[in-house]
Amino acid sequence: MNNWRFKEIVVMSVLSVVFAVVYLAFLPIGKVLVGFFGPIGYDLIFGIWFIVSIIAAYIIRKPGAAFISETIAAMVEVMLGNATGPMLIVSGMIQGLGAETAFAVTRWKNYSSWVLMAAGVGSAVFSFVYGYFISGYAALSTTYVSGMLVTRMISGALIAGVLGKALSDGLAQTGVLSSFALGKEFRKKRTA
Amino acid sequence: MKKALLHVQQLRLRFENQLDKDILSNIDFELKKGETVLLLGPSGCGKSTLTFCLNGLYPRELDGTITGDVFINGKQSTDYKPGELSRHVGVVFQDPETQFCMLTVEDEIAFGLENLNVPQQLMEEKIDNALSLVNMSAFKESAINSLSGGQKQKLALACILAMEPDLLILDEPTANLDPVATKELVATIENLKRQQEFSLIVIEHQLDGWMELVDRTLLLNKNGELFFDGSFRNGIKHILPCLREQGIWLPKVTQYVLQQDGLNEDFIPLTIGEFANQSHYWQQPICNTAPQKKRNVEEFLEINDISWVKNNNTIIQNVSANFYKGEFVAIVGANGSGKTSLSRLLAGIQKPTSGTIQLNGKPLDDWKEETLRDEIGYVFQNPEHQFVTNSVYEEVAFSLHLKRMNTREINKQVSSILKVCQLSELENEHPYSLSQGQKRRLSVATMIVDQQHMLILDEPTFGQDTQSTMELMKLLWERHKQGTTIVMITHDMEIVHHYAERVIVINNGEIVADCNPNELWKQPKVTLNAWQLDYPIQVQLQQICKKDTCYVSTQP
Amino acid sequence: MFLHNLNPCIKALTIVLLVIMLALIFDPITPFLFMILTVILTFLGGNINWKKYCLYFVPFLVIAFGMLWTTIAFADAPANPHEVISLVGFDVPKESFVTALALAFRVLSVAALSLLFILTTNVVDFILSLIQHLKVSPKIAYGVLAGYRFLPMMKDELAIIRSAHRVRGFNHAKTLREKWNQYKMFSIPLLASSIRKAERTAIAMESKGFTGGKERTFYRRITITPSDWFFLCMMIMSLLGIAYISWEFGYFKWYNGEL
Repeated sequence: MNNWRFKEIVVMSVLSVVFAVVYLAFLPIGKVLVGFFGPIGYDLIFGIWFIVSIIAAYIIRKPGAAFISETIAAMVEVMLGNATGPMLIVSGMIQGLGAETAFAVTRWKNYSSWVLMAAGVGSAVFSFVYGYFISGYAALSTTYVSGMLVTRMISGALIAGVLGKALSDGLAQTGVLSSFALGKEFRKKRTA
Repeated sequence: MKKALLHVQQLRLRFENQLDKDILSNIDFELKKGETVLLLGPSGCGKSTLTFCLNGLYPRELDGTITGDVFINGKQSTDYKPGELSRHVGVVFQDPETQFCMLTVEDEIAFGLENLNVPQQLMEEKIDNALSLVNMSAFKESAINSLSGGQKQKLALACILAMEPDLLILDEPTANLDPVATKELVATIENLKRQQEFSLIVIEHQLDGWMELVDRTLLLNKNGELFFDGSFRNGIKHILPCLREQGIWLPKVTQYVLQQDGLNEDFIPLTIGEFANQSHYWQQPICNTAPQKKRNVEEFLEINDISWVKNNNTIIQNVSANFYKGEFVAIVGANGSGKTSLSRLLAGIQKPTSGTIQLNGKPLDDWKEETLRDEIGYVFQNPEHQFVTNSVYEEVAFSLHLKRMNTREINKQVSSILKVCQLSELENEHPYSLSQGQKRRLSVATMIVDQQHMLILDEPTFGQDTQSTMELMKLLWERHKQGTTIVMITHDMEIVHHYAERVIVINNGEIVADCNPNELWKQPKVTLNAWQLDYPIQVQLQQICKKDTCYVSTQP
Repeated sequence: MFLHNLNPCIKALTIVLLVIMLALIFDPITPFLFMILTVILTFLGGNINWKKYCLYFVPFLVIAFGMLWTTIAFADAPANPHEVISLVGFDVPKESFVTALALAFRVLSVAALSLLFILTTNVVDFILSLIQHLKVSPKIAYGVLAGYRFLPMMKDELAIIRSAHRVRGFNHAKTLREKWNQYKMFSIPLLASSIRKAERTAIAMESKGFTGGKERTFYRRITITPSDWFFLCMMIMSLLGIAYISWEFGYFKWYNGEL
């Protein structure tokens, strides 16, 4: 963490706080979907719960951004008082770790759309494995479980990866990111 | 002779994103122990950047290049360890809301002390001390959220005072405060200066109040050069055109005297007090410039006994008023008195709990949102909130697109509005990248593009420099002349005096006065102060002159 | 109230341990009894508003109920398909039903534990305790605290942005694309202003001499007392006790093979 600037940390934590609120807002939506489709309903929109790690990593571009931001978001969700408790922090960490793994593979150098989507998929896979053990997916039939996994991976790639990138790019256009890695890259592209 | 506390030598700074332009250019100056200096310059002249150089944040956090030296207590700023310099230099920033990281008052003050490794047993005393210096002892255990803007700024000051710096820098500390809170903050600083010895740098737009305090003035220009270092009075005497060109605010009295009398080297009052002492120099009659109330007969908006209750608090109480076509109305009153709420009710953004509002004789409820917006435009306090597209052009064209207007027509209309608002050259920029003044004009532009009949603005001149204020008021005045009804919330009595035909005073959610400004100024001072208002400068001078009529020639 | 005065880190540790233990238990009775115990303890040992508690707890009831029926509906083929019980007119394999009930009560007991923590813990104390006892880097901890302060501000700002956009006529989105655009233009002003404020906060904190270093004094020392450890032991003992009781009555079941 020593090569992090303090303002990067505060900005990351603010992003986490914003998305903690978004995450909470999506819980009831998930519940409605579950009502319609069964447990797979959550997986349709599961990507939304990975989005902060992709956004933070894409903007700040330092090792740890994906993992820490998702962890903080989970903590804030717990503090806000409407979540599954301490275990949610653990699942947040695991999701963050999934995204972080994808960035680690590129040695935190490459932040193209593909890598961002891969990070979303990474979170999906990690969180699924964890959920399999914790939430007792085992009690469900195998075809159904594999359906859940595939749905969640697609959702991770699209909602977290693609949407996260689009949001960050929109933000970069406003110029408020000028002292962060993404803003600098954006400026270079513009002047080039 | 007193030792120099601060010595800046040949300081030059550039940002990474514009390496061809100096933000600060060859800055040289000295500051002695106990001295008070005012640092002035137009928006974007690098004042805040200079602050960061003085407290050691730059070059550590800088994306760019810096040359030259900053010596504090004889030691170069870069030779201090990170964090160490904050024992010597303390900064209070502009926006009180974003200076805190803790939830309660005492924790927040303790935060700075903890950073300095002050032993725990000494902290309590220091915290109590700092709080009593700013008269906030009663709030020691309060949540920061529960404080008003003025109290927050005083807390920010207390946090720095607790750290006992040799140099206190105030970076536009009153920009986000209303006039009453501003006066209080200045008085607090004045008081502190009497009790303790520390050097002070004040960076400000709003000069009134500070003039009695300062020993010296430093002036920066748009290129980040220090072009004047000396007494402000001398500056006005010798380089007045230069000050004007740089858009530097003058104290209101000075401004007024210069306007009426031209430059008289023997008579440059910087404060009302100075004017009173020297008023025998004053040769001009003071006449009213406020526009007289026109006879407007055509009713536009009719408000009938409305109240608005939020979370069991009555914000607006039994308000009735009519607005006529083509009026220029100012709404004034203390912070939290309900001005903004009332303006939102007028615009139909919020619905009153009881009572009715009629637009052209038809209740607001019966208007469709789209057609209502063709009648009434509303400019929010923070213009960024209203931006919905990625370029200035698109921003203005947005509502025309919604109407399915054809492209040629849109093009024509947008260009003409942009021209009126002096934004033509910026049409491809992102709305967020504009300056404060430009953003405000853009949000006005989006609200007049449909030829709306009424424009409501929430404190449109808040925290802006002279030039953008003038430009905005000019724009509104043009609109007004073309028949648009203008309703604006403001704290600026000068604006009320010069532009408004009618002023509505709100106090605790009720209308306590609704009259021509000249009528309002006839109220006794106690009444105005109870409403948290003050007289405009012209009226103040008039009152002084009346007191000693023997010196004043009343003949033109 | 003793729950409020406990060390936040030990309290968190206790709850994490209990949650792990609950994860290993797979019968409906143990978590049910433990949930009752936790709720009673929360009200005896904490200064809690009834209404607030219910407001927080109800969503979990909904989740638990959803889990109950989905687990039954999408369950794997049971080992003993002939043992059935009748639920609102449907025959359901007993095994599936018991599994579903166990999962649902587990969710509820974990929720009760979390609420015990959330409703009796001061955020600042918790973060200070993280720095002082768990050696979390002050740089991150204070960064989080600064971010946490933004919550109420963001709520107000969101309301303003919403009405500001309405004035611009930005609420007629019909197609999916327009809706997406609308959400984007909603979030960008909010995020942009939050980022700008965050930068300012960071600068203000550094100007006050904050370096993020581990060496700093504390105005408020969060303590660990024997009563913290007593709480931890008591909680674990009671869960073990409850598990023993259900064992005696033949309900207890380990978590095994259900994977």
